[in-house]
Order: sequence, then C-alpha cells, then structure tokens
Amino acid sequence: MPLPDTAETHAVAHSRSSLPADPVAPDALMGIPRQQTNPKRWQGELWAEFVQALTQQDIEVREQRAATGVYVTDAGGLAHGLPHGVVVAKSAQQIANLMKSAQQFSIPVTVRGGGLTTEGESVAFGGLLLDMTGMSRVLSVNKESLTVRTQAGIFWHLLAEVLRRDGLDYLSAPLNLTSSVGGTLGVGGIDVNSSKHGCSADQALSLQVITPTGDIVECSDSENSELFERIILGYGQFGVITEVTLRIRPYTPLRMHYYYYASLNDCVEDLMMLDATQACDYTGILTMMDSAITLLVAFDSIEREAQFMAEVKSTLRGYGELMFGLRLATSFSWRPWKWKEALFLLRRKRELFPDLQPGHHMSDGQMYDRTVVFSRAVWKHWGDRHMVIPDLATNRDKFVEAVERGNAVCRKYFPYYTLYCVGIRLREDHQAHYELSSIPPDATGFAYGCEFEPMYEGQIYSRDTLQSFKNEIYDVGVELETSYYRFGGMMKGYIRRALGDAVVEKHRALKKEADPAMILNRDVIF
Amino acid sequence: MRSVDVVIVGASLAAAAAAKRLVDAGLETVILEKQVLPRHKICSGILSPRGERFLIENFGPLPRKILHEPTSCRGVTFHFPSRVEMPMDFFGGPTPHLHRKYSDHWAIEQSGAEVQDDTSFLSQEQSDEHVIVKARKRGGEAFEIKTRYLIGADGPVSPVLRSLYPKYHNQIPMFFVGQKFHEIIDCPLDDEYFHFWFHPDLGHYTWSHARDGRQIVGVGYKIGDKFHDRHRYVAKYFEEKHGVQLKPADHDHEGCSENFGPSLINRYVFGKGRVLITGQATGFLNMIGEGMSCALHSGAIAGESVVDAMLRDRPVQEIYRQNIASEVRRTTDQWNPLKIAFAKPHEADFPKALMALSTSDRIKVMKDIWSFLKLYKEFKWGRQMAAVSIQRLIRGDYSQKNWL
Repeated sequence: MPLPDTAETHAVAHSRSSLPADPVAPDALMGIPRQQTNPKRWQGELWAEFVQALTQQDIEVREQRAATGVYVTDAGGLAHGLPHGVVVAKSAQQIANLMKSAQQFSIPVTVRGGGLTTEGESVAFGGLLLDMTGMSRVLSVNKESLTVRTQAGIFWHLLAEVLRRDGLDYLSAPLNLTSSVGGTLGVGGIDVNSSKHGCSADQALSLQVITPTGDIVECSDSENSELFERIILGYGQFGVITEVTLRIRPYTPLRMHYYYYASLNDCVEDLMMLDATQACDYTGILTMMDSAITLLVAFDSIEREAQFMAEVKSTLRGYGELMFGLRLATSFSWRPWKWKEALFLLRRKRELFPDLQPGHHMSDGQMYDRTVVFSRAVWKHWGDRHMVIPDLATNRDKFVEAVERGNAVCRKYFPYYTLYCVGIRLREDHQAHYELSSIPPDATGFAYGCEFEPMYEGQIYSRDTLQSFKNEIYDVGVELETSYYRFGGMMKGYIRRALGDAVVEKHRALKKEADPAMILNRDVIF
Repeated sequence: MRSVDVVIVGASLAAAAAAKRLVDAGLETVILEKQVLPRHKICSGILSPRGERFLIENFGPLPRKILHEPTSCRGVTFHFPSRVEMPMDFFGGPTPHLHRKYSDHWAIEQSGAEVQDDTSFLSQEQSDEHVIVKARKRGGEAFEIKTRYLIGADGPVSPVLRSLYPKYHNQIPMFFVGQKFHEIIDCPLDDEYFHFWFHPDLGHYTWSHARDGRQIVGVGYKIGDKFHDRHRYVAKYFEEKHGVQLKPADHDHEGCSENFGPSLINRYVFGKGRVLITGQATGFLNMIGEGMSCALHSGAIAGESVVDAMLRDRPVQEIYRQNIASEVRRTTDQWNPLKIAFAKPHEADFPKALMALSTSDRIKVMKDIWSFLKLYKEFKWGRQMAAVSIQRLIRGDYSQKNWL
C-alpha cells in the first residue's frame, strides 16, 4: 500500500485538515479555502487494460466521439469534460463487475442520471461515464403497503405515469421531467410539498446499492443502516444506487391559490407560519420583482382547503390578484418613471400565468400533473443553455437575511430574476443522513431553501459572468455559515468552509475506506 | 498537412485559460510558443484576488514552486510627490506573487493542451472554413497547420494581431517598462505591499517591491527614452526621499514593450473572422497595470466562445463579442472616473483609503494625481474617456462600435 505523502500527514498532525498549508498566505482569499480535496486529474493510465477487462465480461464500452460527446456538459453548461468511454447501465451485476475492474485499474467512474446538475457533478473529466438511464423500469407496486420498487435510472415523471395507472403518486420530487430517482436521492431534491413530506431523498425506504468495490448491498434504516446514511444525500460518494423502494401515496390533484405581496419579508414570514402550522399541503414563494412576490398555496383535498379558508386565510398579509393589481396600479401612478417595471409585470402576467394554469391540465379548478406543468414553465421561462441556479439553505433564523443578501447579488447581475423559496421538513431520525449534505447542520424541524434564478431574456452571458454570479451567492453562504445545495465541480472548494474541517475529514476517511482508489464520482467532493 | 480544431499562439496565462476550456470540451488544441518552456517573463507577478480565484477554480491549488518570495502581496501603497502615503489592502486578503516562468508553465500543463515550444508563428491565411497557420521550429523548416480557429494570446506586440492589422501597433501609444534588481542594504518600504508612485518626474509608471531577497526598481515611460538614465533617476529619488539604500543593480535587468490605452477609451481589438485575439494583445489592462486576471478571464472567454461557435454553428466573432462584453465592462469601469468616484470597480478600496487621510493630505493627493495625469495629456484621452463614461451611464454598457 502506498504511503500518504508527507506534506499531507504533516498537516494532519497540526490541524484537523488533511490539506497542506497554503503556500501563498494563511489568510489569502479569505472565506475560500483554496485547496480542492483531490486536485489531480486522471490522465488516462491503464485505460486500455480496463476496457479489455470490461469487454471480456461482456460490458460494452462506447468510445466513439459521437457517443461520448453527448455527455460533454450538464444542465449548468459551465463545466465541460469528455469521458474516455461510456457504459449504459443494464443490471446490478454489470455495474458490480464494472466497479470491481475500475477499482483494480483505478479508473474514475462518473455516474449520470438526467444530467441536471449545475456544477459539473455529472460531467466526466476523463474516465468512465456510467449512464444510469438504461435502468429505468418500475419493478413492482404494492398498493396495500403503499410502496414501489423501481430501478434508479428512471425519471420521476415516468415513475409518476406508472403509478397513476393505480391512482397513486410519489411523495415529493424536483419539479423537472428529466431528473432521475437515483440522482435525486443522492443530493436531496425539493418540491412545493417539501414542507409536508420533507426533501425527496427522505421518502426512500430501502435501496440496492453497488459499493465502490463492487458489492451488491441492500440497505435501509434497519439493514446496513450506516451505508444507507451515507448514500442518502451522499453525493454519490459511497455507492451507485441501482434499485429503490419508495413510499408512495394516493394521487390527488392540486387546489391552487396564489397570494401576492409587495414585501419579501412579509411573504417569507407568512410562508414560515404556514409551514409551522401545516395549514396547507403545498407552499412556495416565487418572486417576480422586489415589489411583486407570489406565495403559492395548494391543497390535496376540499376539506383542507375549506379549513384553510375559514381559519388561516384572514391572517395572511398577501392580496388576491385583483386587489394586488389595483395596489400596483396606484403605486406606479405615483412613480411613472418605473414604467419599465410595470410593463414587465404585465408581460409576466400575460405570458407566465397561463402557463402555470394551462387549460388542458386543469379541471374543475384543480391542477393535474403538476410536474409537467411546472417543469414546462420552468424550462420555458427560466431555461437556457445555462441553468445557473445557485441556492442557499439555512435554518429558520438566518433565512430572511440569506434571501435578502442573495437578492441584492441577483440585482447586481441581472435585470430580471426569480427567487424560489420553500421550507423543507426535516426528519429527526435522519439527522445522520444530513451530515455533509445540503441540509444546514444548525437547522432543526425545518430547513429553508432559496434558489436564485436569473432570467436571461435572450441576453447572452459569458460562463465567466455566470460563474462570478454564483461565486457571490456562495460567498453569502460562507459568510452566514450556512449550507447550499450544489456541491460538486468548481464549488467544492467551499465545502470545508461551509461544513468545517472535522466533518469533511470524517467523511473523507469513510470514503477512503469504502473506495480505496477514490474513483467513484471523484470530482464532486473528494 | 496536419489538421486540428484550434491553434493558440503564445503560452501565457491567457493561452492556458483558453486551452483549458477547449481541451475540456474535447477539442484538439495545439499551442505554439516561440521560446523554450518554461520561459522567463518580465512581470511584477502580483495577481489580483479575482485572478487567484480563477487559477484555483480552473487549475487547482497553487504549488509553492510557482511563487516568488514573499509568496503573497497584501495590497498596494500609493506614493505622491507631497510625500503622502496611501496603503490599501486587497479585498479578500493577500494575493499570490507569481513566478511567471513557472506559473505560466504550470497552468499550460494543467490545461492538458499539446504544446510545441521553440516554434514561431509566421503568418496566417483564413478562408470560410479554416485558417492555415504557418510556423517554424527554431532552426527548422517552416510548416503549416490547418485549424478551424486561431487564437492569438501572444501579448502586447502580438504577431497574430499584426498579421490581421499590420499598422495597428503604430496607431496606439507604446510604452517601455523595465525593472532592475538590487541587493538591499536598508529598505523602509513595507515588503508586504506593491509600491506605486504618482510622480510625473519619475515617469508614467514607477514601482517597487521585494522579490527573492532583492528590491525591484521599475520604471515605465513612452518609448524613446533611455532605460538606464530613467532608472538611475528613480533609484536616486528612492534613496533621497524614502531612505531606500540599495546596492548597484545586478546584471539581470529586463524590459519589454507594453500597450496601454485601449482599456481607457474602450478601443479593444478582438480579431477578425476565425482569428480571435485575447489577453493583453486585445488591450485589456487593469488599473495599476495588472493584466494577468484580465488575461485569464478573457482567455477563458475566447476558449468558451470557440466551443459555443462549434456546438451551435454560429460565427465565432459574434459569440466572442457578446461574451467578452462583461470583461470589457469590468476592465473599462476601472478607468471610468464616474465608476471610480461612485462605485467600487477596483479590488482594493481607493475611496476609503482616501477618506482615511486628513483633509489637507486629501487635497494634496488630489492635486498630485491631477499633475500626474497631465503627463498623459499628449495622448488626448481625456475627452474620449469622458464620452465613454457618459455612454456607460446612459446605456448601462460600453459600445462595441470602437472595437476592432
């Protein structure tokens, strides 16, 4: 076994960090520890031998440029990288064999589902890319115990389609048609019902995992619970998820209401109140402008809706559409020089509102297929070649400050942008899952997340500008000593600052034990 | 004839940044460098915090061997004829003092591009589909490479730029900057700072800082003057006014030509057709002459523009000019008087340092700056800068019409 290099061991002896001392100055680039954990890139050693070993095991490796080129970037479009070869996942046994060979030849393996990452987590900078979308079948639905067993490469929306045949639905998933189940469980995932059902990763009951050394292991809260803890919200560091058992629920269409606010602070406070009292089933904030903020409230049943209308609605400080429109009209008539903002709001109303309540998905005032509706609206109105959506996740107390400071950064970079805020209910029994994850360590009961989404409006921004924008948002997170959702790629330099050396070192040691060659998703955290 | 995706001329930080973007996206990239790598380069080596961040994010942690001693610089100190001193710390902490010989080579190696050093760019000829680049390995025959795009990252006297616009360099003022290295007897100048003199008698650009146990005395002036006379005058001034006692200069003095001016009046040059110009060749220069961070960022933008042009099948100049607008805004803002007065375009807080002075010192400083600026009067930039500043105020952006 090779000895660790001396600079590294030296540093461990003197501090909790395994990073060598900064050669520039101890206080250079304040707020950003300059060292990435694994700065060396793999240069192609033993690739031919590895491919030969896989071919002998009947695993097809696609090496043509046309096959690898489609994976050159992710939804963020900032990080680019080409794998040496691609394997499309077929079975647990195939992946187990692949991982054994990869471990033997020290070949980096990057696992990709829908490729919706924004920091290059699902981009392979050389090595092997494992495309999980080949494993996308639903295996069984249990209507009595309300669980489903599915392969992990499936997109949530396809899973929903299968479940709908039996009048069932998943609990919570990202509002995006092409996010995969395995990928989401690895990072978290939020939905407008996360204040009720928690983050998407928390609905998993048990998993079949291929460990980095190629063992096929079933894990859950009761079986191999330590591995389960590491895999859920584990950024793919401790294994490849191949099958998943999820909790499900009876399907219900949504009864939606929107309330409008002129003050972000009021709106956030109302959101927190609704979450704390669980007065509704879905909540979320979508801003249009600093002075026009939407609070989304929705219900699973008529009873819940009626109860809310009778008891809670009057305590909200938001307005209905008509009243808010009148207020805005008055406000703009006093400030005619803000005509551009007024025009923007009118345009938003004309273009976006119909897309959020499209006739063919509405019936009797209820919305069907919310994922389809929201995903289409998101990609149509916010989508671009660059999905740049930095976010901050905080505890309850720091949330307003995080949102306001992030908002100021957005204002500096873009004429128009949207903040998307939701509460995330935390599971007391899952505290161990949340270590080294997007869930802020100081949050109890609820965590709050805010995504900062620029609207490009046809304007072209260089990657460089978008990266600077993200850096500034993450700097806010570092200063507030809180967490954020998107770890990998270029942002991993922040992890130590956000979570502390002790936690990072602990997980690095665990990773080294589970993955001796440090090959699985290696540019994401370790 | 060999056929590649991109040829980059020059092996500097701009070239490394461009190469990184191109190689990551799987494009076959060849770097032509006229010297043998690692090559020496004259430079103060003081990188801005923004540049340091770029290096870390793109090339990984900085190894010790790419740094001089002292390894970092805490900020800039301005000196004025009235003897007022104004130290300013960089936002975000000390920045690296790069050893350009090794830092550039390190970045090039990290980028993963193929390098042909000791090879000079001779000429280029472009058609609708490709560019034929002619080059020669020292002592060898001239050879040709067919490339889809050519990036000129070859510095202030860019041969690639010259091949596009043969008369360009006669149209902009060129300066000479030179530095000599002295053994130190006694130097009261704080070695954690980069020192700069706003003194019209000393020259257009006068600086000093510590490096590897010696003190640098640097002078910059319009091409035509004598380096040794200028240097002697400055060294004498340092001794008389600041008590800097130095041994006679060592023999390894050095100098180079610099372009200076395009950033002030928004007259950059970004190339033509399939040939892109990037880095300092375009005219990017931050205030106090820091060009490395501009080189890194503009180089990266050139690289990503080529990637975008290929993926989207669009003309590369159109994409490059859209993408580079942000870097133009940032750099030209540094010279925009309105921005200096009312925003914070720099990476150190000049207005705050100014307000920290006593009122009488502040007046002295303003007077000294004014008399220093008069040194630049002959270039007739004043009116152009005012026009550019007002344009920025009204349109929110700089015009692209002046760009070449």
